[in-house]
Amino acid sequence: MHSNKAATERRQRFDRQVGVYHQDMYRYAAWLSRDKTIAEDVVQEALLRAWKSLDALRDDSSAKQWLLTIVRRENARYFERKRLETVDIDNLTASQAALLAEQPDEELDEMRRAIYELEDDYREPLVLQVLMGFSTNEIAEQMGLKQGAVLTRLHRARAKLKDQMAKS
Amino acid sequence: MNCEEYRAAIATDPSFDGGAGHLNECADCQLYRSEMQALDQKINRALAIDVPELQMPELPELSTSKSDNVTTLRKRSWAPPTWFAMAATIVVAALLGVRLIGTGIEHESLADEILAHLDGEPNALRVTDVAITDARLNTVVPADIAHMDHSAGLITYAQTCPIRGYDVPHLVIQGERGPVTILLMPEENISGPQRLSGENVNGVILPVGDGSIAIIGERDERLDRIEESVLKSVAWRT
Repeated sequence: MHSNKAATERRQRFDRQVGVYHQDMYRYAAWLSRDKTIAEDVVQEALLRAWKSLDALRDDSSAKQWLLTIVRRENARYFERKRLETVDIDNLTASQAALLAEQPDEELDEMRRAIYELEDDYREPLVLQVLMGFSTNEIAEQMGLKQGAVLTRLHRARAKLKDQMAKS
Repeated sequence: MNCEEYRAAIATDPSFDGGAGHLNECADCQLYRSEMQALDQKINRALAIDVPELQMPELPELSTSKSDNVTTLRKRSWAPPTWFAMAATIVVAALLGVRLIGTGIEHESLADEILAHLDGEPNALRVTDVAITDARLNTVVPADIAHMDHSAGLITYAQTCPIRGYDVPHLVIQGERGPVTILLMPEENISGPQRLSGENVNGVILPVGDGSIAIIGERDERLDRIEESVLKSVAWRT
């Protein structure tokens, strides 16, 4: 009886966190992998791993960072397993191209393409700051970097995007 | 704050709201700020891709019996001579590079649980040069369970975690290749050293007295020196 109640509460807690952060998990995975299909696989694995280790999440206010960290590790595992080659933007698979599916807004298309072409080291902190609302300190923790390195990467990422958009 | 400093701050975070004194007097920086904020709005829109409907994976049923039965560590009497003899044996073995691969069937699940636990606590594995305080270390490693000093390395994380139904100290020190996890398990008696290996990590569970200590680092981390220093820095008090 007690076990059933605990299991139910555990599941409810899990569903609550996933319900709130599923979109963030998917978008983070998509911009890490630059591939919608891989992002879905990564999120599935991350959800499974989060479920198994939910008890390690002591404070639900840390759930977002906790889940995104799991996504990051799952993405690294995925690429280690598959040993995928570098993406050539002029020769994308359908699943990669889906991330850049044309929008009615041409400027939005250009920006999405420019972000897609950013190096991983620049794209990731930008996603964490702009989309996930992380502070530079939180980004440093998430990526295992010094805060100074994060600031440099954010600065360069924006400079590159600004240049790219000025050209187009 | 001058133009260069202000622009550097805005370029790393366009929501930066400091430097009002400079901003009020500098039209160029006002323009730059507006441009960067507009750029960020475009970046935000571009990043916010459509998200497919959530497909929840099949979640395995997890036994709650372990967490229901979590107990604190029992005190156990243990004569110091035995500790010193066994610790010395292990240190010598580590120095000689002896690596015994455990037959492991009986304790295989311990290694699995440790690896699963590491995956569940990724925040522990951050690279940092900020040590935890002595007070924190003493809270996680209470004096009546074990004594641990800082000689093992820079301890950057300490948390009490459930492993096999016991609350055990989970510590992280910074190795040469990244964070190294140490689990002090005075209740986990094993017959010999057991290797454990996961994706990107390698480690060992060493028998120490009536308990054991797990040490897990990055795949290319040299654990032998860390093993030696950990064994020197830990003494059971149970």
